[in-house]
Amino acid sequence: MTLKSAMLRRWAIRRVGAAHQYNACSWWAVPTLLVFAVVSGCSRHDSRTVITIWHQSRPTEKEFLQREIVEFEKTHPQVHVRALYKETEELRAGFQAAALAGGGPELIYGPSDVLGAFQTMGVVQDMTPWLPVESRDDFVPGALTYLPIRDDLAKKSLVQIGDRFGNHLALVYNRKFVPVPPKTTDELVALAVKNTLDEDGDGRKDRYGLVWNFTEPFFGIPFLTGFGGWVFAEPSSNARNAETATTAGGKIVPALDTPQAVAAWQFMQSLQEQGVAPRNCDYEAADSLFKSGKAAMIINGDWSWADYLKESSIDAAVAVLPTVNATGQPMRTMFAPKGYSLNVNTKQPVADLAMAFVQHMTSDVVQRRLVHELRMLPVRKIIQKDPLFETDSTLQASLAQLKNGRLMPTETELRAVWDAMRPPYQAVLGGGMTPAEAAKTMQREAISKIEQIHADAVPDNSVVALNIAGLVVVGALVVWQRHSFARFVSDWRRNRLAYLFVMPSVVCIFAVIVFPFFYNIVLSLSNMSLANFRDWRVVGLQNYIEVFGDAKIWAVFLKTIVWTAVNVAFHVGLGVLLAVALHGPVRGKSLYRILLIIPWAVPAYITALSWRGMFDYEYGAVNLILTQMAQFAPLRWLLSLANLSPPVNWLGDVGHAFQACIVANVWLGFPFMMVIALGGMQGIPHELYEAARIDRASRWQQFWHITLPLLKPVLLPAVTLGTIWTFNNLNVIWLVSNGGEPQDATHILVSYVYKAVFNLYRYGYGAALSMLIFFVLLAFSLVFLRRTRATESVYG
Amino acid sequence: MQESKVITLLRHVVLLVFVAIAVYPALNVFSISLRPDNRLRSTDLAIIPENWSFKSYEQLFTEQPFLKWLANSLIVSTGVTVTGVALAAIGGYAFSRFRFVGRNATMLAILTTQMFPATMLLLPLYIVIAKLQLINTYLGLMVFYTSTALPFCVWQMKGFYDTIPASLEEAARIDGCSRGAAFWRVILPLAVPGLVITALFSFMAAWSEYIMAAQVMQDEEMFTLPLGLKSFQATLSTQWGLYAAASILVSLPVVVVFLLLSKYLVSGLTLGSVKE
Repeated sequence: MTLKSAMLRRWAIRRVGAAHQYNACSWWAVPTLLVFAVVSGCSRHDSRTVITIWHQSRPTEKEFLQREIVEFEKTHPQVHVRALYKETEELRAGFQAAALAGGGPELIYGPSDVLGAFQTMGVVQDMTPWLPVESRDDFVPGALTYLPIRDDLAKKSLVQIGDRFGNHLALVYNRKFVPVPPKTTDELVALAVKNTLDEDGDGRKDRYGLVWNFTEPFFGIPFLTGFGGWVFAEPSSNARNAETATTAGGKIVPALDTPQAVAAWQFMQSLQEQGVAPRNCDYEAADSLFKSGKAAMIINGDWSWADYLKESSIDAAVAVLPTVNATGQPMRTMFAPKGYSLNVNTKQPVADLAMAFVQHMTSDVVQRRLVHELRMLPVRKIIQKDPLFETDSTLQASLAQLKNGRLMPTETELRAVWDAMRPPYQAVLGGGMTPAEAAKTMQREAISKIEQIHADAVPDNSVVALNIAGLVVVGALVVWQRHSFARFVSDWRRNRLAYLFVMPSVVCIFAVIVFPFFYNIVLSLSNMSLANFRDWRVVGLQNYIEVFGDAKIWAVFLKTIVWTAVNVAFHVGLGVLLAVALHGPVRGKSLYRILLIIPWAVPAYITALSWRGMFDYEYGAVNLILTQMAQFAPLRWLLSLANLSPPVNWLGDVGHAFQACIVANVWLGFPFMMVIALGGMQGIPHELYEAARIDRASRWQQFWHITLPLLKPVLLPAVTLGTIWTFNNLNVIWLVSNGGEPQDATHILVSYVYKAVFNLYRYGYGAALSMLIFFVLLAFSLVFLRRTRATESVYG
Repeated sequence: MQESKVITLLRHVVLLVFVAIAVYPALNVFSISLRPDNRLRSTDLAIIPENWSFKSYEQLFTEQPFLKWLANSLIVSTGVTVTGVALAAIGGYAFSRFRFVGRNATMLAILTTQMFPATMLLLPLYIVIAKLQLINTYLGLMVFYTSTALPFCVWQMKGFYDTIPASLEEAARIDGCSRGAAFWRVILPLAVPGLVITALFSFMAAWSEYIMAAQVMQDEEMFTLPLGLKSFQATLSTQWGLYAAASILVSLPVVVVFLLLSKYLVSGLTLGSVKE
């Protein structure tokens, strides 16, 4: 090695000589410019009072809102209204966080179903002072949402002023195939059967009779109501449109295990068994089938109709959902008022201005424009009598569907009910459950989830024990590390450069994470939940006891390990393979390289959805390729061995859905490892390979004895962090399996946490579960780093 | 260097197969962006749909503040990349070459910051950012992104420095360089492939993130690209055409950055060229 070090030395000397050309100035130009940009970005002045609205309006509604803001600002020149679009869940979670931090938008706009939660959390305020008693009667019943005040259940506060109704489902039919819409379910079935065709006889249907969303139970509600059922138990049958669903004692009881519900799911399943509905059909699949003329009828909501009416290749029309023959009752949909709520943090005089805007949006003029420009259903009684309702058939059907519909409950329990209904609903349509089983499971799960929402833990003895344990830990740390400080001081002089080099990174990393980290530890010991959102306190180890006592978590945990191991193995394996293939004399190397990083470059939140499309049961590319492959006998045998005989129900089948998630994630992750490995290979001196060739080492030996060992230091951080990231990869699971579908069976720990926290508001429990994840990963890293000696250097 | 035909062929076969796999799903996205009728799914496999049009792209530039979002994203991502690379370049070096007190503990501690599920950190992070009045500022996002990208960057740079023989610095020191100068003039230029990867990673971390961005940026004027993109998404009524078109456009700068950087991915310790 003496020759080599002499060479290295000579080379080093040359570098020193060349270094004088370096110009430090250009380095600093970029940050300086950036700082300038940052500062100038903050200093915009506007003397008007700003009112921010977070809304979840769809595109055409958004434009309408913008136009009305301009109108409003004309009469209120001192106000600037800023509308910000937020997706449903983002608005909910974002508003909760902002309100908790004492800020947030002045107004929020959306459907009424989240109001129960907002009221319980205490993040919205009573709007009664701004609405004169006499003007209440101008509104259609249901447009104004009153909810009991938390501390005084006898009183109610006005938590939302609606400006339109919406979210109701109706039957959309293609007049090319269905000239007259069905009045009854018998007619519906007959029409559907007639329109289910396989024209070219290839075993794949060319047209389905009826499609709807098989994954969201919201789309099953018309079936449920048509057979006489409802999600909550009702005090008496005549209180159909009452605002509350409470039974005796004010407790809300789900009513999902009833003969009516079983009959409804039976009917739904029979449609699928007769083949008039596809085997697997989520929202996007149903939408696409109907738009391309491959479905005669679709059950879909008011938000979708304009798109269908616009589509030129089909001749769509909207009709009221039919009446169920067995019961004589119409299929009723859930609908909700959409409107404005006032943030609890909005103080006077801004609140007055904000409410002036709400008044503007609910005025007669704007309400009329709403009907004429958007074809939406207004909240004012007079405007519902507008002549346009006589002439426009879509508006007519929409209003009729609304009139026999049922107001969406605002109770927080509804969220638990949706969560409980989703898996069995999917299972009934996926063939995994009988209707009776489904009804039973829904009811059982709903009751347990409602309990979880309302769980209200109080401090127990463990709080004292915790305090003592905390002191002991701190004390032990001090004793254990008492010499460290002295060592640090003496080391400072010797390694000053090292400390100075490390400091900026360490400060930057920990400045951001320290508060959230400790906040989470405290949260995991607290009772923060829906009921104690703003006034939570430390209650002890109850969350941990629940986490460790839950058998289901360990199954999820096991699945997370499989998920992580398989993904990381493929990421690294493929990454290194491709890097080896690229590292050498290859024509078109840079083109290959660019094309291969595409999965990394295109945002995952859309490619994951495109993978969902590729896994479609009937039309997805994956199944088509597998079918082609199965034409050859040996491949067919291999596929059947792997339980992949096409067509595979990728998204509807429990095991396959998980495999689909893994495939999508492997695709997303291999380019990153490839780039790392490529970078690492550049650092391996060619001389080593030349020497190896002289020694007649085979390619495999070269790879094994030179490439891999020298790649190790570069790959190790990527593998370690890759494992951590994969373990916590919420996005792919969420997008590809659509939030854990089917039947909540594709969850890994982190998506399980997400669901607990954001669907059932169990912040304390979620924090405890996160701590479990944290410790698992910490243990893994400690062992892995020690065994691979990652902190040591390779030449050392 | 000569290689047998078989090996060359093998290389191309492997690469071509994976290029096909890598590109096809992305082509699907491109196909969605060309569809005139706002559909995510299609019932046929054609990449160029019937009645295709560039209308979505046109709309992005004419009706949406796409360029404004692009500028915001560029500012944030560039800031994160520059600070990330600079901090990681020196931090990683210290971890690789010095055995100082608390070295192992600090390295592990840096790693632990990545172990917490990000969704649980949102609420407290929001509180911090609100209290520091960083809502609606580039700085708020930059600080957050830099701190999330740094753990990987530091570790990665440490790994790269580890592959560079210490004898190089010793040689430079013998020639009268200070420790800092040896790092700046000898080691850093050799670590260029590592810096490139670090840069690419920091850029991507800032470029595609949206969950935190949604918390910090509360004004459409300040939106970064992913946020703008997400604003085309709505529960059950996403504007798929715009969403897909914007996604394709969002990935172009990444490809450009990679093209620019990959030039430096080839140099490094090429001792062969030093022989005189």
